Amino acid sequence: MTGKAARNIFIGGTLVSALIFLWMTYDFHRQEPRLAKTEMIDEHVVAGKKVWHKYNCNDCHTILGFGGYYAPDMTKAYFRLGESNIASIVMHPETVYRNSFRKMPHLGVSETEVKDLTAFLRWVGNIENRKWPPQDEKYVKAFRLREVSAQKLEKVDIVMGACGGCHSFENQGRNIAGDFSAIAARITYDKETLAKFILDPQSVHPGIGMPPQQVSRETAELIADFILSLKVGKEVRK
Amino acid sequence: MIRYESQRVAYPYMALSLILFCLQVVMGLWLAINYGFTLSQGLVDTFSFATARPIHTNLLVAWLLLGFMGGAYFILPLECERELYSTKIAWIQFGLFVGAAVVAVIGFLFGWTQGKPLLEIPVPLDFVIVVAALLFVANVAITIIKAKVRSALQWMLLGGVTFLAVLYLFGIPFYRDLNADYYYWWWVIHLWVEGAWEVVTASIVAFIIMEVTGVERKVVEKWLYAETGLFLFTGIIGTGHHYYWLGAPDYWLWWGGIFSALEPLPIALMVIDTWMHVRERKNPIINPLIWTYIVGLAIYHFVGAGVWGFIHTLPQINYYTHGSQVTVSHGHMAFFGAYVLLNLTIYYFAFPRFRNIRKYNDRLGKWGFWTMSISMFFLSLVFGVAGILQTYLERLLDIGYSTAHLNMMFWFRIALGIGIVFLGGVVITVWHLFTLKPVEEGAAE
Repeated sequence: MTGKAARNIFIGGTLVSALIFLWMTYDFHRQEPRLAKTEMIDEHVVAGKKVWHKYNCNDCHTILGFGGYYAPDMTKAYFRLGESNIASIVMHPETVYRNSFRKMPHLGVSETEVKDLTAFLRWVGNIENRKWPPQDEKYVKAFRLREVSAQKLEKVDIVMGACGGCHSFENQGRNIAGDFSAIAARITYDKETLAKFILDPQSVHPGIGMPPQQVSRETAELIADFILSLKVGKEVRK
Repeated sequence: MIRYESQRVAYPYMALSLILFCLQVVMGLWLAINYGFTLSQGLVDTFSFATARPIHTNLLVAWLLLGFMGGAYFILPLECERELYSTKIAWIQFGLFVGAAVVAVIGFLFGWTQGKPLLEIPVPLDFVIVVAALLFVANVAITIIKAKVRSALQWMLLGGVTFLAVLYLFGIPFYRDLNADYYYWWWVIHLWVEGAWEVVTASIVAFIIMEVTGVERKVVEKWLYAETGLFLFTGIIGTGHHYYWLGAPDYWLWWGGIFSALEPLPIALMVIDTWMHVRERKNPIINPLIWTYIVGLAIYHFVGAGVWGFIHTLPQINYYTHGSQVTVSHGHMAFFGAYVLLNLTIYYFAFPRFRNIRKYNDRLGKWGFWTMSISMFFLSLVFGVAGILQTYLERLLDIGYSTAHLNMMFWFRIALGIGIVFLGGVVITVWHLFTLKPVEEGAAE
């Protein structure tokens, strides 16, 4: 190989790669409206993105898998946690993670900012990104099916899909607010009260930390059934 | 042994960068503590992980860039056979760059941030950095244009630093769309480390190899063309391995997968050519340590950036490892192998010359090299174990973030221990560089 041939390899290789890359960048923008659902981006989403930047969330949390690996990925957080849970966590992390091995700083995020942040996370969750992250796909599925028909779901799926962001059951979900087996052993509510509690905890147990859950009446009853069934199981075993 | 007086302007760049290197590693230890232990709410509220991490990463970028700029200023007069165009510009640029970096770090402590990982520096400071970069590129360009001798290496260096400066601009704007935001974020991050930085450092290494081994310029430049050509050919489209899961068209899986699988090739070529040049050396070995660094750099670069990158670059694997500690493992090994060792190679080339020492006592330097190299290898392995554990528990067994991270805590305590050893190696190396002592030539034989 001569020096001149080497130089031509350099120039040719670089140009070919750069041109293909630029063409694909053009195509990325052409397909962006479909993949990123850009029609969903309104002023709240943009304001929410600014909140996301303002509090530097991305240096602990990943989003689309990028950022700090210190805290859970936020790409599908909207489906995993839902609106009011996101609000409680962001506004009162010191209470929610009181007993957790890992803490989140109290950032002083305002109520409007949380609303915008949620709008942003809702939009991010809808980006067509080939079902990543794998561990959150169950929440997305459960969320979507819950919207259509709750009866079609496996009980465990529905419960963990709705509650797994804070409650655990047999090694699934995150145990911040208690494991369902322990809760079932403890509570004295009947189905009616439990469903009411899920939809609006304050109305049954004033002062409790759990935020109201955005699920349908039907889903709330299914979850109540599930928890109460654990109770029976325990008593029978005794 | 400084041949041109203006080379001395490189010294403040290099000296300061070594201090920042030490601070960066200290901050890394703090991050390991964050992972390995449960901290109190009060501590998290005042100095959170999100504040400490950007200090760790921005210090890294700052000291590496200072090293590249210092290195470029040191070799340019030799390569151009004339003084730098202006040492005054070099000083102003140094002041701006350092000023921006200091204000940025203090700003982070008070929550002043752009909020983008690795590019946290707020926009007003970005502009200060842009001005500093423009001064640097202009100074390099004018020095080369005014030179009487022409070489491929000059142009490669100029092209590399210009490319580097231009790419930085893509990280500055606010993007409404998160996936477009990250699309261009990688133009800075990926095209820096697997594009512009490779070109700049390949040029500097080529020069040092030429000077140290005495191998003919013709041969070295031919290899330089082939390597940088392959770096850019594979690296530019290879950016696609970051586009798998951000909401980009499907063909990126193919293009990103195939081109990034080819990315280790130029580095392998680099190992081969370094080895050949070392074997066919025309010069005697005066200071064995710099030869150790040259060979160590090539091998570590290949392992850290090439092999460790290849391991999780294919989409089928990356689906599980993306955004996990596996990336941390690769990041540490690659930055150390490709760029930390490169900067230290430059310093071991330049520092003896600043002090007019032909042969120095290298006992401490050897300890430093081996302590750092071995402990960084194990550190990356430990991050890798944590990453595989995380991937397996959280994504394959699907038993949740808490379980995965609770199991990883143990490994981060080990990482902390290894990190302390690494810091020891860094301190020894920095100390050695600052206190180089000549040896009597006769006595040393």
